[in-house]
Amino acid sequence: MTTIDPETRIPDPIELDRMEEERLRAAAGLLPVHAEGGEYAGFDTVGIPDRPPQTEREREVYTLEEGEMLVNMGPQHPSTHGVMRLVVKVRGEIVVDVDPVLGYLHRGIEKLCENATYTTVLTYVDPMDYLSTMHNEHAPAIAFEKLYDIRAPKRAEYIRALVVELNRVFSHGLMMGFLALDIGGLTPILYSFINRDEVVDLLSAISGQRMLFNFFRVGGVNFDANDEFLSRLGTWRANVLENIEMNERMITENEIFRGRTVGMGRLSGEDAIKLGVTGPNLRASGVAFDVRKAHPYSIYNELEFDVITQDSGDSYARYLQRIAEIKQSIHLIDQIIDKMPHGPVQAQVPGIIRPKPGRAFAAVESPRGLYSVYAISDGGPNPYRFRMRDPSFISLQAVPKLMPGRLVADTMAVMASFDPVMGGVDK
Amino acid sequence: MGHVRRPRPAAHALGRGRPLSAPALAGALIRTLNERIGSDLRDLWTDEDTVEFTIDGARNVNVLTTLRDDPDLDFFMLADAAAVDYGIDAHFEVVYHLYSAKHPAWLRVRARVDRANPRLPSITPLWEGAMFHEREMYDMMGIVFEGNRDLRRIYMSPDYRSFPQRKDFVLPDDAADSSAHGVNPLERPETWDLTRFNEAPAVTFPTSELRPDAPAEGVEDGVTAADKSRPR
Amino acid sequence: MAVDRPTTNLPQPVPTGDAPIIIPDAGGDDALLREFQMEEHPQGGFHGLLEVIPTKADYVLDLIRANSLWPLLSGLSCCAIEMMSTATSVNDIDRFGMFPFRASPRQADVLIVAGTLTTKMAGPLVRLWEQMPEPKWCVAMGTCTTSGGRFKRSYSVVQGVDRVMPVDVYVPGCPPRPEGLIYGMLKLHELVKQRRGQWGTYVDRGPQRTRWEGDVR
Repeated sequence: MTTIDPETRIPDPIELDRMEEERLRAAAGLLPVHAEGGEYAGFDTVGIPDRPPQTEREREVYTLEEGEMLVNMGPQHPSTHGVMRLVVKVRGEIVVDVDPVLGYLHRGIEKLCENATYTTVLTYVDPMDYLSTMHNEHAPAIAFEKLYDIRAPKRAEYIRALVVELNRVFSHGLMMGFLALDIGGLTPILYSFINRDEVVDLLSAISGQRMLFNFFRVGGVNFDANDEFLSRLGTWRANVLENIEMNERMITENEIFRGRTVGMGRLSGEDAIKLGVTGPNLRASGVAFDVRKAHPYSIYNELEFDVITQDSGDSYARYLQRIAEIKQSIHLIDQIIDKMPHGPVQAQVPGIIRPKPGRAFAAVESPRGLYSVYAISDGGPNPYRFRMRDPSFISLQAVPKLMPGRLVADTMAVMASFDPVMGGVDK
Repeated sequence: MGHVRRPRPAAHALGRGRPLSAPALAGALIRTLNERIGSDLRDLWTDEDTVEFTIDGARNVNVLTTLRDDPDLDFFMLADAAAVDYGIDAHFEVVYHLYSAKHPAWLRVRARVDRANPRLPSITPLWEGAMFHEREMYDMMGIVFEGNRDLRRIYMSPDYRSFPQRKDFVLPDDAADSSAHGVNPLERPETWDLTRFNEAPAVTFPTSELRPDAPAEGVEDGVTAADKSRPR
Repeated sequence: MAVDRPTTNLPQPVPTGDAPIIIPDAGGDDALLREFQMEEHPQGGFHGLLEVIPTKADYVLDLIRANSLWPLLSGLSCCAIEMMSTATSVNDIDRFGMFPFRASPRQADVLIVAGTLTTKMAGPLVRLWEQMPEPKWCVAMGTCTTSGGRFKRSYSVVQGVDRVMPVDVYVPGCPPRPEGLIYGMLKLHELVKQRRGQWGTYVDRGPQRTRWEGDVR
């Protein structure tokens, strides 16, 4: 085997250019500048922060050992979760550590809600977790009804449950598409968006809006089901199961998809509870916790459904869990349509409500987990404190725990299987 | 003809079912709480589905450890950790919501925190998922959690100066009593005539009476307008 | 008609040469127009737009540019979902040539700012805008980017993306329907064909940094 002595080999043209440039710069007095200390990262894709580390964890992440590098998966990246920045410390292609930087979509919703009337608050919370708007509104509506000591009429509760389950169907369908998109499959996202458009046209028939529905009110919902909604609902229901099966068949047994997700990002049940992960992510790790069964709200006491769990806690299990939940939601929608009573859809509530001073906590099961609202009233027209606990925000903490040891390309796949929505993460 | 006000029925009379404020069926829970952590418990209160009590801030780790590890209580899941500001001459409060499969009520633990020196032990040793909650509480309220390994700002930039969710952080562009009144030209009628827009005097920012030594939020010295969309 | 075109690419905001810049005078007391002529105004200044008479080749080039605008994947928030919905099968924006949502700003023509712009994100977004090569256009989609929208009084939302970058088309809505976004893109087609908009035609105006300091409320 011939070896090339590094001292005598012929340098290639790029190196010759570089050497020439260095010689010229040195002749002009421009000497190369090196950072103080031993932490110069060389090819600096991400600058190490030029201030001292604020915390131990920051020092841990931003200290580079031999052969490590910081790669910035910046706030704008092709993954479709929104604006989040992941500073990934890699050694070659293996991820050593991850530091998520959030706040690129922080809109100050909680502070805005302190200056808004209770009905206006229900419009401010819409764009938080923008793929599950109905859930975003459901929790505050329940909390404000507890504060105001009122109950919504039965028909309103049934319509609420109906739109909430419809929202869950299309949100989980979108997760399937996004997961495949992040892995590299460009087709399932198109089918997911077709599904979403069907459901969203349905919901726009009842609420007037395609996305940020502004449908819930304190004491009920805004509009009753009209003829167009019912006819679209019937058409949709007739086709949805086979559509979901078709989408599922495209992905579930696909060997590339299985190769990328089976065994990836395995999260055990105890770890998930310690990290605060809830929802389908937790149930895919084997813990049977569903807010609709744990603390039933609305009319979930009267509907019959089981809590589905999966055994392995990997990305594939999270995907299967969501498919099972889509089918469960369709089953719930059937029961709701069967049992829906007649009656008013909104209780007689004044335009600006002034509940008595008190505190209320309401939690709902959103497609991403436990979404809860803690509201404090001081007797005035605006809430004194309006706090939302978003599930994606807390589930994101699982990602830095699951990433080390894996390849960079798997980072987004595991992230997508947790289905975070940055609007909720950043509030 | 004047507006005739008809007496309207009370809102809650039209809702169906029992009133919501019936106490929780949580007798066993309350008894167990009194046995295990009775010395720390203050102001026990129940609602339809919640049991709530107040503790002193420094005891939060002990109380939450008991709540989590005791087999009769078994509150294994932290549902929420929130911070509340009760006013500029009152205190802060950190509110934990816990879930147990054995009891039919959410448990709300309110830990009282001093406003002058807001420090609290961190519960990240108990639940790692409280890290982001505590970072958010630090970012928004300025409550320092001792023992948290990563207490930096999470929503705002690392060099942001204020704590937005405190009650003495006034949103700019609020009405006339705000220090930033008039930033939005629509709030100043002298700017409505667009042909004479430039003749309107520039906006100056008086200091706010809540914080007399600080200038208006985010406006640098010598600059009069926060709106930099056109030269002023 | 001979036109003096500078051949250098160095950032020179004023074209050298003796071709005069013709600025129509619209009256003595039109303060608004005068202000518009100021160079610091984001939409202001007449840099070479009136120096040239478009020829047929230019018209064809503009048609080509209009029918193949490549957007940058920069979805920030809820409007991003509607933008994706516009890009997928039911409302297909590929009919207008906008199929490839480029991930890299170096390859993109249009920056559709879809979603709320916060003060923390304003820096990266302006950097994206500056990385896009000319000709480039900006579409402010949704009310959050038009004027701050429903987050009008928030401490961390930029009240309209035109505080940090020049915008060509504003598409109102919260979020705008896909049909609305398509209408906005067709308006952008018209702008491109008439060669209006923010990019320098034949004169390199240098890096387009609109003044942005830390506070953009």
